[in-house]
Order: sequence, then structure tokens, then C-alpha cells
Amino acid sequence: MARVDERRQAYASYKEDVQRRGKPFYPYAMFHDTVMSVVVVAVIVALACIWYFDSNEEPGEEGAGILGPRYTEKADPGTISFIPRPDWYFFFLFYLLRIFKWPESVILATIGVPTILLILLISLPFLDRRRERRPLRRPVAVVAGVLVMISMGVLTYKGGTVREALGATAAEIDTWFQRNNLPEEARPGAEFFAETCTQCHTYLGSGSANLGAPDLSAVGATGRNVEAFIQIMREGPGAMPSFATQPEENLRAIAVFLEASKGPGGG
Amino acid sequence: MARRPPSLLRRIVNYPLDWIEERSGLIGGVRYFLFRKVPHDTNWAHTLGSATLTAFIVQALTGAILAMYYRPDPGTAYESIQKITNELTLGWLVRGMHRWGASVFIILMFLHMGRVFLYGAYKYPRELNWVIGVLLLVLGLFEGLTGYLLPYDQTGYWATVVAININGTAPILGPFLVNLLNGGADFGPETLSRFYALHMLLVPGAIFALIGLHLYLVIRLGVSSPPWSDRPAGDAMPLPPPSRDGARAGLVRPGARRRVRS
Ligand code: HEC
Ligand code: HEM
Repeated sequence: MARVDERRQAYASYKEDVQRRGKPFYPYAMFHDTVMSVVVVAVIVALACIWYFDSNEEPGEEGAGILGPRYTEKADPGTISFIPRPDWYFFFLFYLLRIFKWPESVILATIGVPTILLILLISLPFLDRRRERRPLRRPVAVVAGVLVMISMGVLTYKGGTVREALGATAAEIDTWFQRNNLPEEARPGAEFFAETCTQCHTYLGSGSANLGAPDLSAVGATGRNVEAFIQIMREGPGAMPSFATQPEENLRAIAVFLEASKGPGGG
Repeated sequence: MARRPPSLLRRIVNYPLDWIEERSGLIGGVRYFLFRKVPHDTNWAHTLGSATLTAFIVQALTGAILAMYYRPDPGTAYESIQKITNELTLGWLVRGMHRWGASVFIILMFLHMGRVFLYGAYKYPRELNWVIGVLLLVLGLFEGLTGYLLPYDQTGYWATVVAININGTAPILGPFLVNLLNGGADFGPETLSRFYALHMLLVPGAIFALIGLHLYLVIRLGVSSPPWSDRPAGDAMPLPPPSRDGARAGLVRPGARRRVRS
């Protein structure tokens, strides 16, 4: 018998079996559904209560309880001493950006992996066309599914617990000057940089590599001048935000610092 | 023997129902929905779909209330959120439920999808419902993304700036997506209105329609029985002995009573 006929017949006999031996949705299945729904609503209310009563009106860290603050500070396009952090269900994508290294493979993490996962997910029923449904007899599908789940879980966990550098300290800035032989005129720029850019970029071991941002310890050795760096900050290449709202002199100071950064031993 | 006339109570209940049924056929539809047969061995894992639906309904209701007080304007959005949380009577509860309900909704979608995957319930003839499910998952995540900006605090703002930039790195479609999400070339005041419209009209509308289609297919095709069901589909099996379990609740349609096995 052709496969198409086989599965049609199997479905017909499923229908017949349900007609003969099934139970009516109401009250049986509906009872389970109702209990589950009540649990869901109760959990949501409980979370809302814990979140509210364990926090206060202060924004950010100061007002935060175990479920986090009610809100952080008001949005301010002028500052970026802030770590861009998505909601937890995007942590796995967020962390993926740290694994793929700039510049060759960042596109894999931002677009590649999510697109491939989505295409695989949609086409699952068209790839796996056997009639067998028992998990133990579908080892390939089940192992693949479990692996995807584990890796998403691990990435979510890692994305949620990564060490975030909120700006580099003055002592760290001093070591930059020693190791990179920076001129004193780069000092103001280094301070701005430490405050705003190390959220995503690493520099001589300081900062955290977020969103696939490249290390900038030796960016001045790439032959670009101050104007080119200002242009980069204005535009915000790739996932980097634009800093066009920052005052011109701050951008120029940072650009001077970047241009002077030729890496340890260079310059 | 003459039939006893129905009691007054019955007539009072039945009259409006009959009136509606005669003009719409809807009562018959509801009856079909309630009394349709499901496999006798469905279990708690089968409740995850309706639990997801419940979470979505919580989002729709709390979201509608929030929309009455929220201002989608960069100058006042943050203050309106503060007011809802700290001043409005039970505003904190509505906002808290909406905020945490979003996470619960997404977790439940994943769990439900896991159940469907484990049970092989995406196979013939339910392929289409799996595809609709994946669309629901994507739209659900997109709801989370667009909602994150609305309080207009630093976290939401910068996460959104970066998320839009990431979309911009897509080949070919990138610049188009950025323009669409920003409501212009750059992130600006239009972006908030745009996210608001997406978050509270367009995307939930699409989710609503797709859930309708999803449930239509569930009802039409029937919920699959567990794969380890005692009767592999296709094998002939004698009828089980009659059982009176169904009478327990006293709610079962009389004709169905004898055939029920729980
Ligand atoms: C939100 C994260 C983030 C922040 C904050 C950030 N960047 Fe970036 N930056 C990136 C990413 C991601 C890239 C890589 C973009 C790409 O894909 O081309 C990048 C690229 C760059 C480049 C180009 C590197 C090269 O070799 O071409 C420079 C220069 C740069 N950033 C400087 C800065 C400066 C200066 C600041 C602070 C004012 C800053 N960035 C803040 C994420 C960030
Ligand atoms: C808004 C989100 C969703 C809602 C409200 C929803 C609701 C439901 C409900 C009520 C059922 C009935 C059976 C059950 O509860 O298990 C069901 C079945 C089903 N769902 Fe979903 N669902 C959603 C998302 C998804 C997702 C993300 C997928 C997978 C990608 C999916 C795939 C399926 C399939 C294939 C069935 C048929 C299962 C069977 O017959 O055993 N759904 N859904």
C-alpha cells in the first residue's frame, strides 16, 4: 500500500477509535484545562505581587527586588553608560553574539543561526514524514530536539549570568596608558571611552565583549584617522548604536584616543 | 404515553437558546465544541495549549487596561508608566501581570511546542497546524520585543536600539527592516508610536486570527492521542466493556454516557 494511503487509513481508524472510545471534551478534558488555567493565572498574579512588593519606586538597582526593578532610569538618547540587555527569552541570541567573533562570523549569530533554526522548525513536519510517533523509536528527532533544548538552555543561562563591565576603573585606564604607550592628550578620550564603550568593546582586557563588538586595543593601527573614527561613532556600524547625539568634542576626544591606540609594543 | 411538558425553568433557559440557535446555529456549534470526542487517554500534557491560550487572554485583558492609561509619547511615556505602577489603584497589579504574563506566555508556548514535538503530533495530518504554531511563536516573541520599549526606560530603549541595528545587518532586507521598525532612517519619536501600534494592534490581531485558525484545525482534526496509546492507530481492537464513569459528574450528554471511558 502506498504511504499516502497508509497514513490516510491510520488517520481514519484514529477517528473511528476516538468516536468509539473517546470521552467528551466537556467535562473531562475541560476539567484538566480549567485547573491548569487557574494555576497559570495564579502564577502570573504571584509573580506580579512578588515583583511589586519586593521593589520600590526608585528606578534601577536601588529599587530592585529579586524580580528586578519596576523600571530603570528614563530613556536618554544622550547617554550610553548603559548595557543594552534584552528580555530573558532573547538571552540565547544575545549570548550567541559573544561566541561568534567579529568581523567574519558576526552575521552568523545575528541573522544566520536564527534564520536556520526557524527554517528547520517550520519544515520539521515535512522533513520527518514517517508515521512513527513513539519518542523511543524516533531517536534522531528526539536527540536533535533535546540537544537544541539543552543548548538554548545553556545559552540562556550564560546570557543571563555574564559578567558585565560597567565602565573601566581609573586604575585600568592607567594600565592602558602604560601598556599602549598612550600620549597624555588621549586622557579625556580614554575616560569617555571607559564610561561608554566598554559595555560592548574590550580594550586590553577591560570591558566585556557584547554583541560581537571587536576588541579595540589596537584599532589605531588600522590606518584610520580621527575623522574616520568620528564618522564610525556617528554612524554606528552593524549592531553598534549611533552616537550622533553626543557633543562633537567628546567624539573627537574619543577618536584621538582610538587613533593613538596601536596595541602593546606598537605606537 | 404522553411526554411530560418541560418544566418552567427549562423553558426559561431554553427559550433564548433556541431563539439564538434558530437564527445563527451557534448553539449547535458550541455543543459540538463541548461534546466532541477527544481520545480517552489524553493527559495533563495536553492542557499546555489551552494554558497558553489563557496566558494570552490575560495579556489581552491587562494590555487593554494599560492602554487606557499609557501615553505612547517619548516625553510622557515613562511618567505614565510610573504613574500606573505607583499611583493608580491596582495599577501595579495590572502592569505586573502584563509584564510577567508575557514571560509565562512565552514559556508556555515553548512547553506546548515541546509536548507536540515529543508526541510527534506535528505529523500527518497536522503539519499545517505546526506551521501555524511556529508563526505564533515568532509573533509571540515579537510582541515581547515591541513591548520592551514601551516603558521607555534605559533598558528598553538601548535594547531596542541594538535590536533594530541587528535587524539592519540582514542581507538585502536589512535597511528595509530598519526603516520599517524605526519609522524613518533613525530611531526617533516615530519609533515609539510605531512600536505601540505594532504591539497593541497589529501583532496581537495577527496572533488572535492565527489562534482562531489553530483551534479550528485542532477541532477539525482532533487532538492526537499519546504515541504510546494502548491501541496503535490502525489495529483492530474489541470494544472496551461499557463503563458508567461518565455519569459521575452528571453533566454528560445522556446519549454519550454509556460509551464514555475515562
Ligand atoms: C551596544 C554595543 C556597542 C557600544 C556601546 C559601542 N560599540 Fe562600537 N561596535 C559595536 C559592534 C557590534 C561593532 C561591530 C560592527 C560591525 O559589525 O561592523 C562595533 C564596531 C566599532 C568600531 C569599528 C571597528 C573596526 O575595526 O572597524 C569602532 C571604531 C567602534 N565600534 C568604536 C566604538 C566607540 C568609540 C564606542 C563608544 C563611544 C563604541 N564603539 C560603543 C558595538 C558597540
Ligand atoms: C499562541 C500560542 C498557542 C496557542 C494559544 C495554542 C493552542 C493550542 C491548543 C488549545 C491545542 C489543543 C491541544 C493541546 O492543548 O495540546 C493546540 C494543539 C496544537 N498546537 Fe498549539 N498553540 C499555540 C502555539 C503553538 C506552537 C508554538 C506550536 C508549534 C510550533 C503549536 C503546534 C500545535 C499542534 C501541532 C497542535 C496539535 C496537537 C495534537 O493534535 O496533539 N502550537 N494548540
